[in-house]
Amino acid sequence: MSHESSLSQVQAATNFSEPAPLHATTRAEIDASLRFPVLLFFRTALFWLLFGSILCTMTSLKLVVPCFLDGINFLSYGRLLPVALDALLYGWAIPAGLGISLWMVARLCGRPLRCSKLLVAATFFWNTGVFLGSLGVLCGYGTSIPWLEYPNWASVPLFIAFLLMGVWIVLLFSARQPRSIYITQWYFLLGLCAFPWLYATANMFLTWGSIQASAQGPIIAWYSANIFGLFLIPLALGIIYYLIPKITGAPIYSYYLAVLGFFSLLLLAGWSGMTLFLGGPIPVWMVSASVVATMLMMIPVAAVILNYAKMLQGQVAALKESPALRFIAFGIIAYLVATLLNLAFAIPTWNGILHFTHYSNGIIILTLLGAVSMVFFAGIYYIAPRLFGFSWLCSCSIRCHFWLAVVGLSLMVVSMTLGGLLEGLALDDAAITWVNVLSFAAPWRWLNVIAWILLLLSYVSFVRLFGNMLFHATHPDQKVSACSFNSLASVS
Amino acid sequence: MNRLRPLFITIALLFFAGWLGFVAYSYLELGRLAPQVESDGSLPPLQSGSAIRGAKVYAAEGCMTCHSQQVRQPSVTSSDIDRNWGKRPSVARDYLRDQVAFLGTSRIGPDLSNVGVRFTDPAWYYRHLYESTTVVPGSNMPAYRYLFKMQKIEGQPSEEAVSLTGPHAPKEGYEVVPTEEAKDLVAYLLSRKQDYTLPEVPPVPEK
Ligand code: HEC
Repeated sequence: MSHESSLSQVQAATNFSEPAPLHATTRAEIDASLRFPVLLFFRTALFWLLFGSILCTMTSLKLVVPCFLDGINFLSYGRLLPVALDALLYGWAIPAGLGISLWMVARLCGRPLRCSKLLVAATFFWNTGVFLGSLGVLCGYGTSIPWLEYPNWASVPLFIAFLLMGVWIVLLFSARQPRSIYITQWYFLLGLCAFPWLYATANMFLTWGSIQASAQGPIIAWYSANIFGLFLIPLALGIIYYLIPKITGAPIYSYYLAVLGFFSLLLLAGWSGMTLFLGGPIPVWMVSASVVATMLMMIPVAAVILNYAKMLQGQVAALKESPALRFIAFGIIAYLVATLLNLAFAIPTWNGILHFTHYSNGIIILTLLGAVSMVFFAGIYYIAPRLFGFSWLCSCSIRCHFWLAVVGLSLMVVSMTLGGLLEGLALDDAAITWVNVLSFAAPWRWLNVIAWILLLLSYVSFVRLFGNMLFHATHPDQKVSACSFNSLASVS
Repeated sequence: MNRLRPLFITIALLFFAGWLGFVAYSYLELGRLAPQVESDGSLPPLQSGSAIRGAKVYAAEGCMTCHSQQVRQPSVTSSDIDRNWGKRPSVARDYLRDQVAFLGTSRIGPDLSNVGVRFTDPAWYYRHLYESTTVVPGSNMPAYRYLFKMQKIEGQPSEEAVSLTGPHAPKEGYEVVPTEEAKDLVAYLLSRKQDYTLPEVPPVPEK
């Protein structure tokens, strides 16, 4: 599809049109070269997803029933929670996102992967890093720096592994066959450049400890905001730009909006993290800059969402038929809600009440498991059948996965934001003692436990389905599931 | 020309701008803050070796997941000061002596930046850490019993023994004493005091 006539100057510099469909043999060649490494990414990611959500369920339960598994050092709340969240970030989201972007980049660049052994080695390194890091925290070597709790030596394998994987994608880029660069690749390029920079900076200054504690606050806030805003969210947005046109056949609605969305995100996201320490011991100008940037973030978000919404308009049939599209639609909604919640959080007087309650954790969970993960699931739903060479085995597992995730996440958001608001109002009144604040928060925390259980069930049903696919791929003659074959995702 | 290059350069430049603003500025300005020199020493006060080791225990146990260490500006909220968590908001220099600033992002429990002012008796901390409900009924803070050891009383009971009654009391002839880790942790908690004045932050007038 070419829109040469309507290209703006920006696009003239970077030709923007969607790449022409590849020849079937090229496609098959690419998929064959990627089958093992990408499926390996997905397998390890799903393991950590289950691991992380089991631990999250346990910690949420510990908050309401403190005597649950109490007094055991490696199962104490303060050690489990960081392990759980880091497993979801480093174990699940990053490898899943990388696996998907690797496949998409290869397809967009029209190049099969060479020397995939190194990539497999990188996955191995990465997972070793996550494993050793988690073990370190459980054994009491955690650093208690948000999102960087792993002991500092665990950052070395993680960093090396990322560079190896990143190099692969860059090589694919430079060998690309169509010279044009599609918007998806823009976002991937942003994310893949941002991560090593973020991770190296944060580790150098924080975990390897070469900076005075008085200066750590802004760097902590910068890292924990940008790991989402400049890395995972761009990956997710790029994946959506790839999948919607592929699934529905609709072209990108507006290239101007796409360009606007990309550059305004790039410009603003990096400045928006300091609301994490609004009113805290960091320079006031930083907080002001972030408040403004968070408000302005409505521009990139509105631009991409408008674009997506226009592309999805009237695609009811496709939404019903394609699980990937349904996951994307929910991911987009989650992204919008998370942005609005962030906006409310950045208003100073509101922040005074909402800060430090479950509200802010709710935004993080919604971003990680809603906006990012739902899109990654969509990517896996789209890609895995192409790698396996057959379609998803069971449609009820998919439905289970989707609806449990939707209900679980919605319940989570309601319990965390409303519960957080009430908790904040109680905290704001100094006459209410701490133990009384706890009783205000308790019902909402119970709701949170239920939400986690639903999410856990949702992920279990997906992992089971994926496991069945793996089994079926190696034992094609055996019947694997009671569910009838269903051609949900056609293999193109 | 390779069209990848302009895109890459734009990304790098815009990313670098944020990096300069937040990271480089912090490193160059906040990272070079110096202690306030007074006639009778410097502020914030130096920490004992035990307190510095205790910060490691604080990090390892993840107390930060439930406790913050920052008193917010009264312009944002007055509740931190109303709750008696500090007489004035925290500023960057307060963390000068720490290895890691445990600013915290959530408050399942109270703020601890001035806990050493509120509670001065180590015995209270030991009982609270061993089983929080013995001193604060209804508390849901986890019990850190593994930071203590149960030992047989030989001769005189130990002076450090945690005084426990009721269901959490040790068996007859046994006592509960804090380990080195617990002692360091409590030394660290006792050092959590921002009760001095720094020129950049005047005390908030009492209401
Ligand atoms: C699950 C969350 C949680 C974790 C983890 C936690 N606490 Fe607490 N903490 C609380 C709650 C809730 C309270 C308020 C009730 C009370 O005083 O027991 C509290 C109160 C306190 C107090 C009394 C503060 C005051 O002003 O009354 C101290 C001191 C304290 N915690 C220290 C610690 C230390 C040290 C650690 C790490 C070893 C820790 N806490 C880990 C939840 C937690």
